[in-house]
Amino acid sequence: MNNIPEPVNNHAPKSQTMIKFESVCLSLQGKEILTNFDLTILKNEKVLIQGKSGIGKTTLFKLLLGFGTIDKGKVIFNGCKISKAHITGIREQIFYLSQDIDLRDGIINNLINEILKANSISYKNDKLNELLTFLDLNIGILEQNVKDLSGGERQRVGLLICFLLDRPVWLFDEPTSALDDVMKKKIVDFILDQEKTIIIISHDSVWKKNRNIKIERWE
Amino acid sequence: MGAQDLNFLSLASLLVFLIPIIYFNTRLKLVINKTLITSIIRMCVQLGFVGVYLEFLFKLNSPLLNSVYLLIMISIACQSIIRSCNLKFKLFFVPLFFSLLIPFVVILFFFNAVVVRIDNLFEAKYLIPIGGMLLGNSLRSIIIGLSNFYAGIQKDEKVYLYSVSLFNNRMQALKPYFLQSFSAAIAPIIASMATIGLVSLPGMMTGQILGGSIPAVAIKYQIAIMFSIFYIEYFSTMLAVIFSLKVGFNELDVLNQDIFVANE
Repeated sequence: MNNIPEPVNNHAPKSQTMIKFESVCLSLQGKEILTNFDLTILKNEKVLIQGKSGIGKTTLFKLLLGFGTIDKGKVIFNGCKISKAHITGIREQIFYLSQDIDLRDGIINNLINEILKANSISYKNDKLNELLTFLDLNIGILEQNVKDLSGGERQRVGLLICFLLDRPVWLFDEPTSALDDVMKKKIVDFILDQEKTIIIISHDSVWKKNRNIKIERWE
Repeated sequence: MGAQDLNFLSLASLLVFLIPIIYFNTRLKLVINKTLITSIIRMCVQLGFVGVYLEFLFKLNSPLLNSVYLLIMISIACQSIIRSCNLKFKLFFVPLFFSLLIPFVVILFFFNAVVVRIDNLFEAKYLIPIGGMLLGNSLRSIIIGLSNFYAGIQKDEKVYLYSVSLFNNRMQALKPYFLQSFSAAIAPIIASMATIGLVSLPGMMTGQILGGSIPAVAIKYQIAIMFSIFYIEYFSTMLAVIFSLKVGFNELDVLNQDIFVANE
């Protein structure tokens, strides 16, 4: 992948801590979601988080993106606390693929162009065609409306945006749930082969087959 | 030449038509009689008071008093808008007040100074009725704009937040909600400009003709008023959304859920 945006500290060693949750406590509507939660993820580490629904896995992603506030503790991203001063720089480094791929409606091509323009990223058509072929997407899909996509197409369009944005940290929430087995394997191998920090929430066993991944099992 | 005065008895004669309406409502079990009567009483009392203090204001014709009166009108308009949008008064009053005040003052004084060309810009006869008309008409668009904007983001919060993460720019993420609510807000005045004279004869024109103006003068005033209403609606709706962003969202661009008044 080309044009990888550099993290804040680009001279840091490979073992540098990229993400750190330190004694985090969080309650939502009276329910304790996280209690003294600790988690450290190193640069370029690949972590699979598994556990039953409703125990706060997606909340981790939301906290990293600044979409939720914690009651106690610290959330540190690349040495920076999630705060007003750092949030733009932090979001600039994270690509988040939400479970429902909550893209706003519109023609996909226009949406992709708007997103890339807002991020000051230019791409060559060759790269786009290469990614479309890799994701088994027809070029005609770019002229479709987001709302007309099937679940599998939506996931692949989300991944297409992820690969085009090429941010250094990827947060994936059930990224392969609507894909067939062949596509799943191809995408998992590709993703885990990248020099990126990647956290995946997935119930798919296909992720576990790869040796590059660290598994965090939540009870 | 002015309109013929109405005596109280002839005005009260209009109540005759309320009798069948109340009868039908009762028979149809349409439970609006109490609200209807309350509204009619409020209208009569409020307009009665306006009559009294407008006479007082016109007589004194004090620039300070006229300006204070306009500021009170803007405050009441803000209160009415915030209540209609189900938003919290203490959070939205200040941003809304300035979003109305700025275009209102600019357009109103432009109207009086450049269009009508009166010497005393604070002349009660122009300032108060024209100000009232501009303000009254712009309420609708701000209500539509502000409520659609915040209700749209609240309903669509996951999509909005996902856009924030992708665009990494709050304004880009807000753009579709702003465009949708803004077009809905100004659509009625644009439609109204297209049909005025064909479908409806506006109140100001009617009032002026009854007051003794010739139709040509009344029409010129009406055109000037329509321009002014449109400009105020356009800018005040836009500013209402922009000025309210600071209270509407937290510092990490997430919609503040406590801006809404809880439905009972």
